[in-house]
Amino acid sequence: MARSRIKRMSALSGSLMFAPYLILLVAFGVVPVVMAFFTALKPSMVNPAGGFLNYLVVIQDFRFLPALTNVATFLVIYVPLMVLVVAAMSLLLDAIRSRWTVPLRAAYIVPASISGAVAILVWYFMLEPTYSPYGDLLRAVGITEGSQIWNTGNLVWIFVLMAFFTGAGNWIIVQYGSLQSISDDILEAARIDGANAFQIGLQIKLPLIRRYLIYMSILTFAAGLQIFVEPYLISSTVYPGLADNWSLNQLSYSFAFQSGNLGASAALSLMLLVICIIAALIAIFRTDFFEEARPTTKRSKKAARAAMPAGSAI
Amino acid sequence: MSTTMSTDTYAMTTVGTARAPRSRALNVRRLPGRIVTWIVLVAFAVFSVVPMIWLVLAPSKTADELTSLSPFAFGSFDQYAVAWNNLMLFQDGRLVTWIWNSVWYTATIVFISCATAILAGYALATAPLPFRRTLLMTTLIAMIVPPVALVLPLFIEVTALGIYNTPWAIILTSSFYPFGVFLAYIYFSTSIPKELYEAARIDGAGEFGTFWRVALPLSKGLLGMLAFFSFTATWVNYFLPYVMVTSGEVLPLPVGLGVLFSATPALNPGIGASILPIRQPEIALAGLIVAVPILIVFVASSKLLVRGVLAGSVKS
Repeated sequence: MARSRIKRMSALSGSLMFAPYLILLVAFGVVPVVMAFFTALKPSMVNPAGGFLNYLVVIQDFRFLPALTNVATFLVIYVPLMVLVVAAMSLLLDAIRSRWTVPLRAAYIVPASISGAVAILVWYFMLEPTYSPYGDLLRAVGITEGSQIWNTGNLVWIFVLMAFFTGAGNWIIVQYGSLQSISDDILEAARIDGANAFQIGLQIKLPLIRRYLIYMSILTFAAGLQIFVEPYLISSTVYPGLADNWSLNQLSYSFAFQSGNLGASAALSLMLLVICIIAALIAIFRTDFFEEARPTTKRSKKAARAAMPAGSAI
Repeated sequence: MSTTMSTDTYAMTTVGTARAPRSRALNVRRLPGRIVTWIVLVAFAVFSVVPMIWLVLAPSKTADELTSLSPFAFGSFDQYAVAWNNLMLFQDGRLVTWIWNSVWYTATIVFISCATAILAGYALATAPLPFRRTLLMTTLIAMIVPPVALVLPLFIEVTALGIYNTPWAIILTSSFYPFGVFLAYIYFSTSIPKELYEAARIDGAGEFGTFWRVALPLSKGLLGMLAFFSFTATWVNYFLPYVMVTSGEVLPLPVGLGVLFSATPALNPGIGASILPIRQPEIALAGLIVAVPILIVFVASSKLLVRGVLAGSVKS
């Protein structure tokens, strides 16, 4: 009797404690999606009938395919690059076992503070030979002014560079953290068996952090899919028009704020959101990362260790 | 050479004596590999810090010195003041408003997001909540979906609510912090022994009493972690505030920086000569003001990041 009363009381007070977050979750997590769903059915100038035709309007827009191609190319380069470099760098960092990893780690984290608008500013100067610390290097390959680099064909590489630079350090530190949690016994056993550092890295450590790398690639993919700030700022300020509607999110923004077609904008946003939700579901159910997000499982502890907030990678 | 030696010595002292003889025996054969490793690690570190060093030094030079002096040359301390005063000429010191906006928006968001997240995470971990699994699953999905994905849907909602172009459009929408809930949930369900809650409850502390007197005092590390991620995500956020507010006086600093890009010829000579002396050093100083708080927080917390979000609590 007393037990069940305690239980009921704690369910009640637990619900009260959960309530403030629940309000935010519903108001700014669920409601906007529902509203966007209905907005996406609204009629517009281009599509007076409204309804699901809005989705078709988006896909048939002449800017859609180029934007899709851009973002796809970006992701194909960016995600594997992140996984490879982050895996390699964190393995190397873990291999040296030296106190010098402290300043190295501090150095790797520095670029994380150069994101968004500041990234545009910094990379403008880095790629402008008259200002850049890499000026000699740039001139050596025949680049005398920044506008030679900032052209349509190179954009994808520039955005990969920016996103990689901002995100990689953070992830190297986090993956290094998960490498540190590998028990010394396992490594010692491998060493006694005659494995060298290279073999230990590739055949022991790498499989053990595989799960974190998969999780990271899903987050990186989801964040990369939503790329907006870099192409938008570049073409609205520094090089006007250079990367107009370069990404899908920019197109969605244009629908809403330039064509006043909120329906198409919501439709496109929802399409991108659905892909991200699928990615999230894969991360939750198809990787063993959140395996039983239940109390007291060892796994979820490790999940928390390597988890990073979504979007922080870009 | 001496570096390699001393690091090996260090490794020996830290990992214990059992491995010492082996590492010494292999030392010579391992040397080339170690040298390559160090070169890669140091090169990546240099690549990482060069842009930041440039950004720190840029406002110490005049616009002319920026091109004539070496990129890593230091101009003078006075130039920082000159650049600041020049920035103040832009719309009558608008920059100060932007900085202040960023400070109070971020502080409010960090407070609301951390408070709601720690309470919710605690409830998820300890109380028999109705629909617990659904709530947890929704939170996990919301945590993995990048916040950017919701910006345009949120814009539709914010307009309907009538808070468009007010600070609350940014503050409320940014305070939703599923990642924080997840962190708190994991922390409270793995790092604090269940018996501790049970004991407090049986002593009649009640759920709130247990949280306040038992759980919270044990959660300083968690709170630091929650505040860290909330702060770093909020301080530099561009897209969401850019869409949510439009008037100059309510913009936060990163959006204001974007305004400076387009309103001055510093990055875009095509805009034409401006009457205001806002050129490259001034714009670099403005960028530096955005980046420095993040830089300080990041470097100060890099240890925390390595130890994982469960600092000190997981010894596997």
